[in-house]
Formats: sequence, structure tokens, C-alpha cells
Amino acid sequence: MEKLKDALNFSDFSKAERIGLIIFSVFLLVFPVLGTGSFAKTVMIQFLLFSLFGMGWNTIGGYGGQVELGKAQYVGIGAYTVALMMVWWKAPFWISMPIGILIAVGYSFIIGYPLFRLKGHYFAIATICTSLVLKDIFDNWNLVGAAKGIELPIHDHPDFLYMQFKSDTYYYYFIMALFYIGLFYMNWFRKSKLGYQLRMIKDDEDAAESLGIDIRWCKIKAYSIASAFVAVGGGFMAVYNLYIDPASTMELSLSIKIALMAMLGGAASLWGPIIGAAFLVPLDRFLGSWLGGHKGLSGIDFMIYSALIMVVSAYQPRGIWGIIEQFRKRGH
Amino acid sequence: MSFLTVENITKDFGGLVANNNISFSIEEGEIIGLIGPNGAGKTTLFNCIVGYHRPDSGKVTFKGKDITGFKPFETSREGIGRTFQIMKVTTGMTVLENVMVGAFCRTNDRNTARMEALEVLNGLALHAVKDYYINELPIAIQRKVGLARALATKPVLLMLDEVASGLNPKEIEEVVELLRRLNSAQKITLFLIEHIMEMVMKVSQRVIVLDYGEKIAEGLPADIVKDENVIKAYLGEKYAKGL
Repeated sequence: MEKLKDALNFSDFSKAERIGLIIFSVFLLVFPVLGTGSFAKTVMIQFLLFSLFGMGWNTIGGYGGQVELGKAQYVGIGAYTVALMMVWWKAPFWISMPIGILIAVGYSFIIGYPLFRLKGHYFAIATICTSLVLKDIFDNWNLVGAAKGIELPIHDHPDFLYMQFKSDTYYYYFIMALFYIGLFYMNWFRKSKLGYQLRMIKDDEDAAESLGIDIRWCKIKAYSIASAFVAVGGGFMAVYNLYIDPASTMELSLSIKIALMAMLGGAASLWGPIIGAAFLVPLDRFLGSWLGGHKGLSGIDFMIYSALIMVVSAYQPRGIWGIIEQFRKRGH
Repeated sequence: MSFLTVENITKDFGGLVANNNISFSIEEGEIIGLIGPNGAGKTTLFNCIVGYHRPDSGKVTFKGKDITGFKPFETSREGIGRTFQIMKVTTGMTVLENVMVGAFCRTNDRNTARMEALEVLNGLALHAVKDYYINELPIAIQRKVGLARALATKPVLLMLDEVASGLNPKEIEEVVELLRRLNSAQKITLFLIEHIMEMVMKVSQRVIVLDYGEKIAEGLPADIVKDENVIKAYLGEKYAKGL
């Protein structure tokens, strides 16, 4: 009960931020009835999905300060669990998704335990490696469709049990609900004991240890929370796209995009991943399909992402939100 | 049974023996000073007790429990608090949040942690700076924040690594006052590394002297300053004559 109150309590934010959140929420709610085209709806669904990914990453990467570049493997675990259980056993989404989360969390403990012996760049590289290894396994594993991927059986009628709909509007509201659950969870998380401890770890590991914090255990906990978030998004991807393959769910570029959403928007801030996604998802569309597809400049998106990572980490480690806060401070 | 017992601690950093066969014990409620020239192994000894280093040999017993090789977070939960010689100047958390992290060592509830943190801050007269970030504060206050953070974990033994360095005489006076108060009112046993001799003499009831990793003397402050070995290794002839 106390936790729920904390999750719904935004009173420690400034008035401007709270009004912004309300306007934003109203916009999200009425967006599908504004009569916008299906392209805009697709972009909005992507935006909400990547905000969710970014919020998850923010636990370990933002609050905990551990540069984690392997979140795609958990997207894959979530997506594959949902898809395979549906193909093999006709399991409804509402059963397969929680199982996907459990597998992701279990796997994150197994991976996290040795991984968090490493620090800094070594940790970042190791997370990339574990993610790539899992992708390679799925690329060659015939039982799960190997590199061809799997198609989900399509139902004739809209079905809430399997989360299959003809219209994107349903998907839109579904991912919006997940987005808000994520937002409220993060609002609680940042005020929780673990949230405080992670920020201390980020600031000064030695001091954190002297204050009775089991650093490795805290990091593992945050890492598995992040993995659970991302696995939910993966499960959504499976039912939304009705087709998954290792390239779309476990690619390194996905991991980097997830981390970049949060870093660009503002790591360790509640709004950061949302701002980052609002900025990067449309940019990603533009770069990928227009410059990459029509103009034949494939690969340019990665150049721009890497440039962005460098600029953000060199000039404003706290991202766009950090810049906004700086201006606000100057105003006072 | 002693409160803290250190038996034959040796720590060897690949040929450089930082602590060589050091033994001593501390009783509950004492204030003990640890002095010695730079590089004598004082901080290493602290780290061996608290758990940042694992001693190569020897044994540390705290309240009858063998804590040798415990990790820092474990010794902290046992009730040993420590401050650092160099406080990392961080920008991520306010003073209050820093102290709250300390309080979270004993509670899971945010409101309890907040209240306890505020209490500690009030006790150290830091209430006015609670919403500042550490990098915005002068060094004397930063040190105090480090102390507040450690106090919030409710230690029964507090190990202070040069709390007074870089402070002016008036500030030192305040710290001495504060340490005495912690010791008498809150019954916290204090173990402090200190370079400033006036402070060591004033505040400690017993002094341990290290030189080149070995314990060369232990005793009352008044006796220590007359000890020939200590004068030769650390205090210098001038200091001895000045007394």
C-alpha cells in the first residue's frame, strides 16, 4: 500500500513537470482518436515501447551507473518465450509473458553473477558479448527457427487472450498501459532503498560499501529488474509484429539504441528515457528508412548514434534533461 | 574479552610489507589515536580491519566474533563505521540523500531513514546544508558529511581516517568537541588516524604508533611524546624539546 502511494506520488517534482506530465498523458490518451494515419500510430507505438525499454535500462544503467550494452538478449528472451509457447502449446499471451519475465530474470541472475565481478568498460564489453553469444545460438538453433525466425499463428478474430488485433489502436492502448505501469514502477523505484543505494554506488563504490551496501548484490538486483522490463517489451514485440527473428530482437544495435534512449534523454532521471525515445524513435525512422533505404546510405544511422554517444558522454553526461535542469538552475 | 582485538596482522603488497605483525586491542568506550609518518601503514591497517584488504595473516575479532576477511559491507553491518581520508566530491546526491543511504543500512523504510538522517544532520549542525550537493560545500563541511554518513549507520565503533586534515584551528576545536560528545553521549568507541598532534593529544586516551608497518609504541599520550622511538620516527627532536 505504502509502495503504491509512493508510485503514484509525483509531488516532489516541480509544478511545470507535473503539468507537463498531465498534458502528455492527455495527449497519449486521445492520440488514436485524433484521426492520424497508421504511420503516426506505428511511430507512437515504437516510442512507447522504447520508452519502456529505456526505463528498464535506467535502473542499472542510469541510477546504478553501469554502462550496460546487452539488453537485447532479454528482448529476445521475452519475445521468443511468447512466440514459442504460442506456436508449440497455443499458450495465451497472459501465461507466456509472465513466464518470459521469469526466464529473463532467472537468466539475468545467472549472467549477472559473474558479470558484476567486472567494472567499467570491461563490464560494458562483457554485456555485449553475452548478448551476441545468445544471438548466435538462436541464429543456429533449428528448433527455434534459427535465422529464419518464427511466425506466430494468426487468428481470424481479434483475441484478447492472445493479444491479436486487426487495428493498431488496441496495440497502442496496450503498450500505453505497460508504459504507465513502467512509469509508476520507476517513480517508486527511484525513491526506494535500492534506488538510493544504486545512486551511492554510482557516486562512490568504496563509500557505498562502508555504508553496509552489498554492491554486487544490489547491481544484480537492478540488472534483473531491467531485464524484466525489457522482456515485457520483447513479449509485446512478438504479438505486435507476429514475426520474430534473432536479427530483429537480439541485434547489438537494439542494445545500443536502448542504452542511448536513456543516456540521451537523461540517465538517472524519471523523464530521461521518455525524452530520449521521443527524440530518437522518429530520428531512427528517418535515418533507417529514408536515408538508409531511399538514398542508399545504409549504415549512416550507426555513425550518427555513435557520434551522439560521444557527444553526450563528453559534454552533458546527464543528457537532454541535464541541459534543461541547468537552464532552470540558472533561472533561479 | 576486548571490544576489538587485532592479532598479528600482516599485509604484504608484493614485497612491500605495509603491516607487519601488528597486535593491539581496544576496549569499549575508548578513544584511541593511531599515528605515524606517511606510509607507515595506518590506512592499510584500517582497511585490513574494515575489510577493504584481506590480511595475509592474523586475526581480527570484534565483540567476540571473528571478522577477519569480512567484506566492508559486512563489517559495517556488524557496527563498524568508517570515514575516508579523501572524500570523493560527488555531484549525484544531496547531503541529506547521502546520509539517508547510511541510515538505510538499518532500515528498509524511506521515511524512517529520512528521519534518522535528519536527526544525525541536526546533531552535527548540518541541517542548513542538507539540500546542497557535496561539490558545492567547503572541505570542512564535506568532512562532516562523511562523518554524518557513517554515523547514520549507527556504528558502535567509528574509525576516522584523518577527519581534521585541512581544517583550521577553530574547526579542529569543533571536531574535538564533537568527537568527545559522540564518545560520551552516544557511547561510540573511536579509533582515529590523525596527523595533527595537538588533536591526538587532546582527544585520545591511548595512542598507537606505527612506523614502516610495525607497531613501535603504545600508551598514554603523555608517555608517547617522551618515547625515544616515537621521537626519532615521527615527532622529531624539536617537538620533544618544545614540550
